[in-house]
Amino acid sequence: MPPKKRKASANVAGAAKSGRASAASTPGPATPRDIDSSDDPGSPDEPAEDEEQIQKAVDRFSLAAYQDKSKRGPIDAASRYFGDNGKRDFSYLPLKPDSKSRPIWIDPQRGRIILENFSALAEQAKDFLITVAEPLSRPTFLHEYSLTPHSLYAAVSVGLQPQDIVNTLDRFSKTPLPESIVSFIRSCASSYGKVKLVIKDTKYFVESNDAEVLQKLLKDPVIGPCRVQGTDTVTSAPSMGGLVIPGTSNAAGVQQAQLRQGQQSENAQPEADEKPQPENPFDALREDDDDDNQEAVHAFEILDTSVEIVQKRCLDIQYPMLEEYDFRNDDRNANLEIDLRPATQIRSYQEKSLSKMFGNGRAKSGIIVLPCGAGKTLVGITAACTIKKGTIVLCTSTMSAHQWRQEFLKWSNIGPQDIAVFTADSKQKFPGNTGIIVTTYPMVTQSGKRAYDSQKMMDFLTGREWGLMLLDEVHVVPANIFRKVSHSIKSHAKLGLTATLLREDDKIQDLNFLIGPKLYEANWMELSEQGHIAKVQCAEVWCPMTTEFYDEYLRTKDRGLKQNLYVMNPAKIQACQFLIDYHENRGDKIIVFSDNVYALIHVAKALGRLFICGSTPNSERMDVLDNFMHNPLVKTVFLSKIGDTSLDLPEATCLIQISSHYGSRRQEAQRLGRILRAKRRSDEGFNAFFYSLVSKDTAEMYYSTKRQAFLVDQGYSFKVITQLAGMDKMENLTFKTPKDRRELLQKVIVDTEAKRPLEDGDPTDDLFYTAGGRRKKRGVRRTAGTLGELSGGQDMAYIEQRKGANKALKKKPGKSAFFKKIGREKQRMKDLATQEE
Amino acid sequence: MVRAIKGTLVECDPSIKSIIIAIDSEKNDYIIEDLDESHLLIKDVMVQRLKEMLEERLKETVPIVENDSDSDADVK
Repeated sequence: MPPKKRKASANVAGAAKSGRASAASTPGPATPRDIDSSDDPGSPDEPAEDEEQIQKAVDRFSLAAYQDKSKRGPIDAASRYFGDNGKRDFSYLPLKPDSKSRPIWIDPQRGRIILENFSALAEQAKDFLITVAEPLSRPTFLHEYSLTPHSLYAAVSVGLQPQDIVNTLDRFSKTPLPESIVSFIRSCASSYGKVKLVIKDTKYFVESNDAEVLQKLLKDPVIGPCRVQGTDTVTSAPSMGGLVIPGTSNAAGVQQAQLRQGQQSENAQPEADEKPQPENPFDALREDDDDDNQEAVHAFEILDTSVEIVQKRCLDIQYPMLEEYDFRNDDRNANLEIDLRPATQIRSYQEKSLSKMFGNGRAKSGIIVLPCGAGKTLVGITAACTIKKGTIVLCTSTMSAHQWRQEFLKWSNIGPQDIAVFTADSKQKFPGNTGIIVTTYPMVTQSGKRAYDSQKMMDFLTGREWGLMLLDEVHVVPANIFRKVSHSIKSHAKLGLTATLLREDDKIQDLNFLIGPKLYEANWMELSEQGHIAKVQCAEVWCPMTTEFYDEYLRTKDRGLKQNLYVMNPAKIQACQFLIDYHENRGDKIIVFSDNVYALIHVAKALGRLFICGSTPNSERMDVLDNFMHNPLVKTVFLSKIGDTSLDLPEATCLIQISSHYGSRRQEAQRLGRILRAKRRSDEGFNAFFYSLVSKDTAEMYYSTKRQAFLVDQGYSFKVITQLAGMDKMENLTFKTPKDRRELLQKVIVDTEAKRPLEDGDPTDDLFYTAGGRRKKRGVRRTAGTLGELSGGQDMAYIEQRKGANKALKKKPGKSAFFKKIGREKQRMKDLATQEE
Repeated sequence: MVRAIKGTLVECDPSIKSIIIAIDSEKNDYIIEDLDESHLLIKDVMVQRLKEMLEERLKETVPIVENDSDSDADVK
C-alpha cells in the first residue's frame, strides 16, 4: 500500500504543493490551529487519508491541540470583559495556597509565562525560564516569556528532561500546571532528535536511525519531491555502509528497519554507558542519536535548494530536524590552529550564550542576540576557536570585513596568513588546507558575470565544507539572500549574531529555518546594571506644531509635504538647538539623526553644525568623523540613516533623533546602539542620553509609539518631556519670530514642490558607500539681462549665508614643498645660533 | 440695535485651534471671535457639534494606536 500512496502524492502538481506547504507553515509551530480551519484546501486528487494524517500531526504539534475544551467559555457575568468574549477568563484555574510567594503564571492557551520580577524567587525562575522559553518582554516588574517548540528543543538538547521541566515549572507556578502545557512539553521533548540534517561531501542528507520515520518523511507530499532522485545508487556506496534508501526496496527496507529498531532500543542504554568519556553528564541521558557510528543510519539526499522547505515541513509534522555538528569527531576536515589569547577573558553573558551553542559538546546552529556594543564579535571569535575548523565570516560591508579580521588577530592567536579577506579589492586565499575567510553578503550572493578571480574564489568557497559560518548582523539581510548563501556555501554549523532580531515585515521567522533557533538573548537591563553597556536615559520630547505649520499640515493632502512639515517644525528645531547647547556645555558629544535628508541639511546649516549624508563624498565623511572623534571643538555631528549601523563612535554620549523611518523598531534600537558604548562618564547614574523629538498632533506621534515597542520590551522606559525648561530664555534661538517661521514655511513648501532630488533619501544604508556618478550636471539656463548685471554693475554682492559647517573643515592649502624646505632651513640656522650662544 | 450672541470661551493648544479654524472655514458658523494663540470664542449652540467634528478630525490626522494588540496576539 505505501508505494501507491507515494505515487499518488507525487502526481500532484509542484506549484500547488509548494503553495500548500507555505500555507500550512505560516502560522508557525505554536500557533493554535483549528482542526477544521480551511487552511488546507488541498488538491482534490490528494488522498484524503494522507491529508488527514498530516493535519493531525500538525495539530498534535501545536499547543491548541492540548486544550481542555470543556472549561472554555464564559464563567460569570464579568467574563466577557476578558478578551475575546470571555475566552481569556482564567479564573477557573485554582490558585495554590501559597501562590503569593510563587513568581510565575502560565497561560494555558498560548504558552505565555508571566513572571513577577519583584518576587524573591524571580532570579531562580529567570535562570530557568531563559533555558526553556523565549523572552518576549522584560520591563522592570513583569516579564513575559513564551514556550515554543524551538525553546523546548534547546532545553532538551542541553540535557533537561521533560519531567524536570514540568516539575520546575510547577514549583514556580501560582496555579497547578495546566494539562495542556504538560502534554505540550512532553510531546515536544519526545519528538526531539529523531531526524538529523547532515552534510557529507558537500551534499545535504536527511538522516535518521529510525527507518520508519524516514519512510514517513518520504511519503510526505512536501518532502518527498525534494529528494534527489538519482541518489539511490550513489548513496549506497561503501562510504556509507548500512544505508537503506527507502523507496527503492520499500517493503524490505521497512522490515529491516523495524528489526533494527528493535535492536536499537535494546542497545541504546548499554551503548551510552560504554561511551569512553561522556563529555558531560547530560550526554548519558540523551536519546540514542549519539550512536550513529555503530547503528545503521538511514539517509536520503535532498536538493540544496529545498533544505529550508524540508526543515519547515519537518517541524510542522512533528519531526524537527536536528542540525548539530560533532566537530570533535570530524576527521575529514582539517583542524585549524586557533585559540583565544591567554589574556582574553570573555564575560559571563558571553560564556552563557556560548554554552547554549555548545551545550552538549556539539555545535548547534542558531542565533545569538546581544545588544550593540556588548561584544558580539568576541562571541563569534570564541565560537570559531571552539570549533577549530575552517570558518567563513559574512558581514555587511567591506569596512566591517576588515574590522572582523583585525578583531580575529587581536583576540586569537591565528596566523595572519590563515585569515583572508574576500572583497572587491582583495581576493586572497589561505595557504594551508584550512583557514578563515572574511567576506561580505554582496560578494557571495552577487549573481551574473563575475570577474575571473572572484569567480575562482567563489568556486573555492562553494567547493568545500566549512566548519562554521558566522553571520554578522543577520537581521539586515533579506531572507532570499540567506537562502542563496546557505545553499551555495556548505557549513556544518551556522551562528548568526545580531542586536535586534526583528523585522517589520515579519521575515524573521524564516531565519529559524535558514540558520537556526534563537539560542540566547541577553537582557539589556542586566548588562547595563553590570556596566557592560551604557546606562541610557531615554526621553521623548513633544514639540507643539506652530500654528502656521499646523494650518498647512491640515490643509495639504500631499504626504511628502506633510512629512516635511512635521519634521521641519520650528519648535522642533528650537528644541534640538536647545538640547545640543545644553549637552555641549555638559561636555557631551552629540549625534543628531535625521532620516529626512532635506531636514538634515537645513537644520545642520541653520545650527551651524557638521553633517554627513549619502551624497557626502567619502573624503569629507572621513574628515567629519575624524574631527568629531578627536577635535574638542566639534561636539555635534548630524547623520542621516547611513549612520544607523556599522559605525563605531565610542565618544558619542548623547543622541537626538529629529526624524525617523516611520514605525521601524529596529532603527530605533540600532540608533540607541550607537551610544551604548559610552562607558566613561557616569554622573547622575546615567552616562548616555537618547532624545526623540516628536511633533505633537501629527502622524509622528503614532510612529513614535510603535518604534519604542522593542526598547520598552527590553526594559527601557521613555520619559515624556512636554516642555523644555529654560528654552524660551535661550539666546539666539532660531526661528523665534513669526516672520522667521513663515519664511521657513514658505521655503519648505516651495522646496517640497520643487521635489528636490535630495528628498528621495539616501542611496544606501552603508556609511562607507562611495557616491560615484550620482551628481547630475546642472543644465544650462537662458535668461534675459543686461551686461551690467554680469559685470557687477548693478551693485550686487555675493554672500553665502547659512553655509554648511562642513566647508570650514577643509584644510587650508599647505605651503609648497619649496617654501617648507626654506622654512626648515631657517629654523635650523636659528637653532644653531641659539646653541652657540 | 445691538445684537447679542451667546458664546463659549474655548481654550486649547495652538494645533487644536488650527483644526477648529479649519472646520470653521467651511461655513464660518462656529467661531465668533479669534482671540489669540490659544483662545477662541465659539457660538454656544455649536459647541456640541464642534466637539463631534473635532473628534472626527483627530481620528483622521492621528492614527489610533491599537491597544496592546501585540500582547493579545497569538504566539507566532
